[in-house]
Amino acid sequence: MAVEVVLPMLGVTVEKGSISEWLKKEGDKVEKGESIFVVEADKVSTEVESPGSGVLAKILVNEGIEVPVLTVVAIITQAGEEIPEDILAKAAPASPVPEAVEVDAVASATPKAEPLSPIPAAPAPVFSSGPTVQSGPVRAVPAARRSAKEKGLDLAFINGTGPDGVITCRDVENAATASRPKASTLAARMAAQQGLDLSVVAGSGIRGRIMRSDVSAFLDPSQSEGPALGQVIPLSNVRQVISRRMSESAFGAPHIYFFAEVDLDPLLAFRKQLVPQVEDAFGIRLSLNDFLIKAVALNLLDFPLLNSRLAPEGVVINPQVNVGLAVAQPEGLIVPAVAETDRIGLVAIAEQRADLVERARSGRLTLPEIERGTFTVSSLAQYDITLFTAILNPPQSGILSVGQTQDKLYLDDQGQVRSKKISVMGLGVDHRIIDGAVAADFLQNLKRKLEAPAFSFSHL
Amino acid sequence: MKTYDLAVIGAGPGGYHAAIIAAQHGLSVLLAERDALGGTCLNRGCIPTKSFLADTGLLEKATHSPVLTGTDKLKLDLKAMVARKNKVVTTMVTGLSKIMDSHGITVVSGQARLEGPGRIRIGPRLYKAENIILALGSRPAVPGFIPFDGKLIQTTDQALDPASVPSRLGIIGGGVIGLEFAAVFMALGTKVTILEMLPDILYSEDQEVRRTIRLLMARSGVEIRTATKVLEVNRAGETVELIHQNQAGKSMSLTVDRVLVATGRVPVLDGIDPQRLGLEMNGPYVKVDSFLRTNLAGVYAIGDLVGGMMLAHKASAEAEAAVENILGGAKTVDPDLIPRCIWCRPEVAAVGLTEDQARESGRRVRAGRFNLPNSGKAQAMGEIDGFVKIIADRDNGEILGVHMVGEHVTDMIGEVLMAKTMEAAVEDLAGVIMPHPTLSENIKEAALDWSGLAIHALKQS
Repeated sequence: MAVEVVLPMLGVTVEKGSISEWLKKEGDKVEKGESIFVVEADKVSTEVESPGSGVLAKILVNEGIEVPVLTVVAIITQAGEEIPEDILAKAAPASPVPEAVEVDAVASATPKAEPLSPIPAAPAPVFSSGPTVQSGPVRAVPAARRSAKEKGLDLAFINGTGPDGVITCRDVENAATASRPKASTLAARMAAQQGLDLSVVAGSGIRGRIMRSDVSAFLDPSQSEGPALGQVIPLSNVRQVISRRMSESAFGAPHIYFFAEVDLDPLLAFRKQLVPQVEDAFGIRLSLNDFLIKAVALNLLDFPLLNSRLAPEGVVINPQVNVGLAVAQPEGLIVPAVAETDRIGLVAIAEQRADLVERARSGRLTLPEIERGTFTVSSLAQYDITLFTAILNPPQSGILSVGQTQDKLYLDDQGQVRSKKISVMGLGVDHRIIDGAVAADFLQNLKRKLEAPAFSFSHL
Repeated sequence: MKTYDLAVIGAGPGGYHAAIIAAQHGLSVLLAERDALGGTCLNRGCIPTKSFLADTGLLEKATHSPVLTGTDKLKLDLKAMVARKNKVVTTMVTGLSKIMDSHGITVVSGQARLEGPGRIRIGPRLYKAENIILALGSRPAVPGFIPFDGKLIQTTDQALDPASVPSRLGIIGGGVIGLEFAAVFMALGTKVTILEMLPDILYSEDQEVRRTIRLLMARSGVEIRTATKVLEVNRAGETVELIHQNQAGKSMSLTVDRVLVATGRVPVLDGIDPQRLGLEMNGPYVKVDSFLRTNLAGVYAIGDLVGGMMLAHKASAEAEAAVENILGGAKTVDPDLIPRCIWCRPEVAAVGLTEDQARESGRRVRAGRFNLPNSGKAQAMGEIDGFVKIIADRDNGEILGVHMVGEHVTDMIGEVLMAKTMEAAVEDLAGVIMPHPTLSENIKEAALDWSGLAIHALKQS
């Protein structure tokens, strides 16, 4: 039975992607779960596994061509099996193009993309929840089909304005124009010179036209002046997605917050003791965050309800505990997650954490690293911020916010004034799933863990 | 008391644009003007002189026509020329007044006085406004040593209702205004002499433009003396003697029947006391930031009052920016996108850098040019004096400067402005399908020539 290979959903911030490399050729045998191509989108490249076993019968989208996610990019058949007509028809036009008016969906994108228009396929509206691939045959006049094929456009994404929705030549022309980002000549030349894909640049000109200042600001955000009073900053793709998701989370998932003052002296002493030994033995320096991440992961094992998400079928307790760490970048916040945080030791956490943060700052994270998170830790310990709240990172149901480490005076047993280091930690949860008492227990338990580090981390 | 969203002082092309744009955006607007709507531009500048130039140009063209006969008997009725000018001005001012009414703009006649942020006084009445735009404009500079009498020794304001045509006219100042009046009187048969203190006329324009204009003006009989300092202006009966010193320091005398002083313009500050208000100044001009804001809260200033190019469309562009900023925007006016037009004979139009400035900027630049004798339309019109020159960056094709001399070039520079505003490259201009036969084709040819591909030009070796 033939299997369609689609460009996977590349995460919420991504609507299009391009295959940077096919790891298999047409005719190669593939196993289910084996990587067959590498997809690139925004700043992330991901290897994509084969959805089935068999022979890679046909590659429909070649390297370097940007297409919407969920586009059929290849077909896998069983050995000796013909590519079923219906799948091929749905996925790609037969070649040569039949002269029938009744044609079926997708014109394959041609491999040679014009250098100045790097997105030959007409993308679906950029911020819809996903492309709407029409099922069933798409009707187009033969000339429109030919023209779409020449332009590397996908008929399934073109609205037909002819009788009964038939796609006309004009529709194809319009789609071709619409798919190209509108930029001034000088902006396009600057982008070409710098090897920048204009589709990632937000235009500040009339009707979103990309002007030279947009390109230079994108290339070097530090060079452009900070926002001036009264200025209107066009929303970049990343910012649009962040704003949509933040609204969804803030208004869709009722948040409740809990705060606890955590005595850090024991943990700081424990860390001080451990750091030189660990550094000596493993060559890595444990940060306070590593202990936090680990403590949170252990706490999630005690309270699996906070390691969950709300789905139509119910509250899904995630099978893994992957604690994410919020990393600030100029383009926006990104949250890579440490994999299987509950199972691995502090050293492994520190190694993963250091690597993830470094790659987050240089924009080289892979998609699974961002998507696998089941709980988020957001720390402003470096700031002079006493406490703060955070919005849940959907579909997660819990987020921990860590305020500055500060000195606090207290009276000891002898009535002497002493000082200790404390941090105010905030827990935000999705109140649809998690009751106040559960959240309070979670935070209290976490506080206890952090205040008794020797015990908490000893069983590992 | 009603508080207006915006009060504008001065109803010239800066002030009335600001008032209309603000009203279009729903603001309540008060517009104060002590004279006539339209300011210098409409009453004493752009429009009246264009009316004169249209009439005198017609005479000049007819007189020099190789095909008309009996042209030696042609005469221009000076009274009718002035009357037509006045009618044009009245029509425009009346129209402007109706436009103001249609937008519900409160126009108050009288000398306005800025009392402080948010407050202006017109006559005895105090008005309040959230925002104020100062658009008071400028007036001709009147050097102290010149004994103006308004008849024989005039400012340009006083030259707009001539009762007679002088046979000899001395113009002090070879800038834009001086050359424009030279063109008017030269066509009326006056022997015009221009005395310019700087080493050249139109000193801020491209060298090639200056050379061409000097040559063509001289050919039309206008005498131009540059690097010449006027020391004394003495009225002697019905003539005036101009004592001046040439470059070599030699004193000379010139006797004329009328003197026109066109030595630039100074900002009008009537009703504004910078010292009392604590209003920061930039020399004689009101100081503003790039968003047209003065140092006083909610007080903006635009146009000639803030210096820079003293042009009507610069004031209007600043009006647009100031209003947008009042509405919460952050708009600035790019001086590289302000065209410069000079209505001498033939006309000059330019935008951006001169060729020298472009080369000195350190960028790799190249100039494309097209000479009017190669243009079919220019030949057909019998107006072949001039050229189009486009200077662009060799690396990315950015149009850095465009300079044109010739009839109707002031109407053509807009095409280039459009291209430049849209960040088109010089090759984009070359790719436009221009109608034939027109003068616009010359822009395309110059753009083609930039790549060595002009059509109506000899092959370059």
